[in-house]
Amino acid sequence: MKVIIGLGVVLALLVVIPSVQYVLAAGDSTGEYLDRRVVIWGLFYRLMIVAFTVGTVVSGLIVWLVLRFRESNPKAKPTSYEAAGSW
Amino acid sequence: MSGHSTWPEWVYVGVVVALLCYVGAEAWNIERIVEHVPEDAEIIKVTGQQWIWTFEHEDGTKEIGELHVERGKAYKFEITSKDVIHSFNIHDYVVLLDAVPGRVNTVWFSPTEAGEFDIQCREYCGLIHYNMRGTLIVEDKGA
Repeated sequence: MKVIIGLGVVLALLVVIPSVQYVLAAGDSTGEYLDRRVVIWGLFYRLMIVAFTVGTVVSGLIVWLVLRFRESNPKAKPTSYEAAGSW
Repeated sequence: MSGHSTWPEWVYVGVVVALLCYVGAEAWNIERIVEHVPEDAEIIKVTGQQWIWTFEHEDGTKEIGELHVERGKAYKFEITSKDVIHSFNIHDYVVLLDAVPGRVNTVWFSPTEAGEFDIQCREYCGLIHYNMRGTLIVEDKGA
């Protein structure tokens, strides 16, 4: 539980609190001329980077899991149930 | 369940929550900035009807199918419809908003380049929807 709380605090400090501050501070500089194309497409590309990064990590992890823990992998070890021969 | 370690799962949950916070905050922030209209923006009333766009400037000038604006100036569109739902789109300037009967929707933009740009209905509105087009003509000041 301590680890979970610690992790939560670290994430809050690193990501959540700066995000909230960033958003709340945004209202100060609005109402000015801007190029919608730059702003909106910029947002799109940033979020696409997030999406593709997550997709790469998740799919890479799945591929690694499937290859690493397949039965035919030379490094595979029997589970405790398999080693005992009964389950 | 055996007493195996669950920290990888919690790390995974934490990363997902952090990413969602980032995505939400970023999108919210941009939406706020984009929606805030400059004070000196000129209001243009945009009316969609099967199957033409009509425009009315602040000085009362009306245009049908063509819209003349000045480069570098801000314009606020007040968009409505006379019949069915349409959608007002200037693709090159990322302007896209529904025109709904009985309702006025607003969006603003500031053209940065002189030239001609397509205006197009983006909500299927009947037989001639495909040809419910217009032209945005951006002119340099004094031209």
